[in-house]
Amino acid sequence: MTSLLEVSNLSKSYHVGGFPFKRRVINALEPISFEVPAHKTLAIVGETGSGKSTLAKLLVGAEKPTTGKVKLNGQTLNHGNFKQRCQHIRMIFQDSGTTLNPSLTISQLLDEPLLLNTDLDENQRALLIRETLQKVGLLADHMNFYPHMLSGGQKQRVSLARAIILKPQVIILDEALAALDPSLRSQMINLLLDLQQQMGLAFVLISHNLGIIRHFTDYMMVMSKGQVVEMGNTLDILKKPQHKYTKKLIMSQHFQLLNR
Amino acid sequence: MNLLDVRNLSIKLLTGEKAILAVDRVSLTMKEGEVRGLVGESGSGKSLLAQAIMGVLDDKWQVDADRFHWRGNDLMRLSPEERKSVIAKDVAMIFQEPMACLDPTTTIGEQLAEAVYSEEFTGFFWQKHQQRQLAAINLLHKVGIKNHQKCLKSYPHQLTDALCQRVMIAMALARKPLLLIADEPTAAMESTNQGQIFRLLASLNQLKNMSILLISHDLENVTHWTNTITVMYSGQFVEAGTTEQIFNCPYHPYTRALVDSSPKANMHIPVKSRLMTLPGSIPILQHLPIGCRLGPRCPKAQRACVKAPKVKNYHGHQVSCHYSLKDNY
Ligand SMILES: Nc1ncnc2c1ncn2[C@@H]1O[C@H](COP(=O)(O)OP(=O)(O)OP(=O)(O)O)[C@@H](O)[C@H]1O
Ligand code: SF4
Ligand SMILES: [Mg+2]
Repeated sequence: MTSLLEVSNLSKSYHVGGFPFKRRVINALEPISFEVPAHKTLAIVGETGSGKSTLAKLLVGAEKPTTGKVKLNGQTLNHGNFKQRCQHIRMIFQDSGTTLNPSLTISQLLDEPLLLNTDLDENQRALLIRETLQKVGLLADHMNFYPHMLSGGQKQRVSLARAIILKPQVIILDEALAALDPSLRSQMINLLLDLQQQMGLAFVLISHNLGIIRHFTDYMMVMSKGQVVEMGNTLDILKKPQHKYTKKLIMSQHFQLLNR
Repeated sequence: MNLLDVRNLSIKLLTGEKAILAVDRVSLTMKEGEVRGLVGESGSGKSLLAQAIMGVLDDKWQVDADRFHWRGNDLMRLSPEERKSVIAKDVAMIFQEPMACLDPTTTIGEQLAEAVYSEEFTGFFWQKHQQRQLAAINLLHKVGIKNHQKCLKSYPHQLTDALCQRVMIAMALARKPLLLIADEPTAAMESTNQGQIFRLLASLNQLKNMSILLISHDLENVTHWTNTITVMYSGQFVEAGTTEQIFNCPYHPYTRALVDSSPKANMHIPVKSRLMTLPGSIPILQHLPIGCRLGPRCPKAQRACVKAPKVKNYHGHQVSCHYSLKDNY
């Protein structure tokens, strides 16, 4: 059986410096390969600048890879075919609450991706918006609200609704849980887990919080300086870390656990 | 002896026709050499409380307290200006965004030299410049920056967040404070750098016996570094006690929910199962529930909860709830 998301030999390098003789190549991401099946979650951890965000950008198609390809359900995703990609791979950012356009109502915000990516008529779109809001725990009444009328957690839900309204198969969460208050964060985790069960979504979670990673993810990938230094089952890695960055990270958090 | 003893401090926001009670009778005590965590979700009034203690809130806010003692002296009897100068002498504060608090147009060296007290120097005025430099270097060493030459010459934007925070701590140390208030000092950092800053604060606490009030929105983040914890919710006092009491047997339904919702504290529950959590979110200032403000979200709420509960004290473990969980343990 093929995995839902299959990445092979993906890499990215940038050229810096203007003059040919000064030109240097920076490998932001060394070639990597991995797979994520449906219903599963992959965690990516690594220091700042280790290539996590580059990888995320390559997956959603915001950057063109230097080598390699991304396959979804066995089909290769071409760079440039945004319609295909936007539908199937969506991303939620850390401060997604603040990135909502303040001059649009919630229903207009959710209508946008539908207008761009589907051929549904007005009634169908309204129905879908209603359904999606319900899925993320908001009310149909919220359709006519503007973003500033919602709390931080509700805004996060709107961005989640925006991400799932096209029925994607993969959602990438770039530190999307980090800045939330603990009670909202748990609400969000519960919601994401429910959606994963119902819709068979695969998640890619970029995070530092090992507590969340332990609870929420199945596989884990540790990156350092553009390279994958460790990959495997989350619990195995947390129990027996091999690389020194992983050990350091576990020390800096786990440490606190063992003492309480 | 208590370093700081604040009873029933209230902060009103004076707007339009009706004043809003943003912080409602919160008490806080700090002993010498103590590290206390002040925990509560965003908007619960932690920063307001800290600013009220420092005396830096502007005219929009009205601060009242039943008691405000600093090292045994009753500060309520002083004028606001006198109170502020007494506090400023012994209390320093550092903030969430270190980069934003430094002057981007001046080098770290100059900003540090300015923070140093010149009264302490003996000698002639031409020696003062050099003494300032030495003092600045000394401060950098205290916060673990060894490459002081490079740091002194840098501008804030050339340093990482964690380094900037160290510089902020160095400036705070210049006045040899008895109490350091750290308002989410690591909020913008990744966890390995967070650890560095917490370790630095812990070592300053140990070596200099400096008390620290550590403000955070995340309970699990601070438990390792604190002796005692005070929890707030929506401007009201929730619970206070030793870190063990708060984490192992919380008496208040809110604290209980905080502990239960933390994935780290829940190592025993199965992977990918649902986490316990309270429904809804913290109310905004314009729509505060009457009585206990947790009411609409509280699993134990009953009719009595429309009256704000009184604080009960069980051997130093204080809780403010009509139906505390004390008997559950
Ligand atoms: N200048 C202001 N004008 C009006 N309301 C304010 C102002 N500053 C703060 N508030 C309100 O006062 C309440 C408490 O704010 P405070 O900044 O103390 O919260 P906090 O606990 O520090 O939260 P955070 O974790 O987000 O820093 C909030 O409801 C906030 O909206
Ligand atoms: S006083 Fe009532 S509403 Fe408030 S925390 Fe206790 S039980 Fe809940
Ligand atoms: Mg604050």
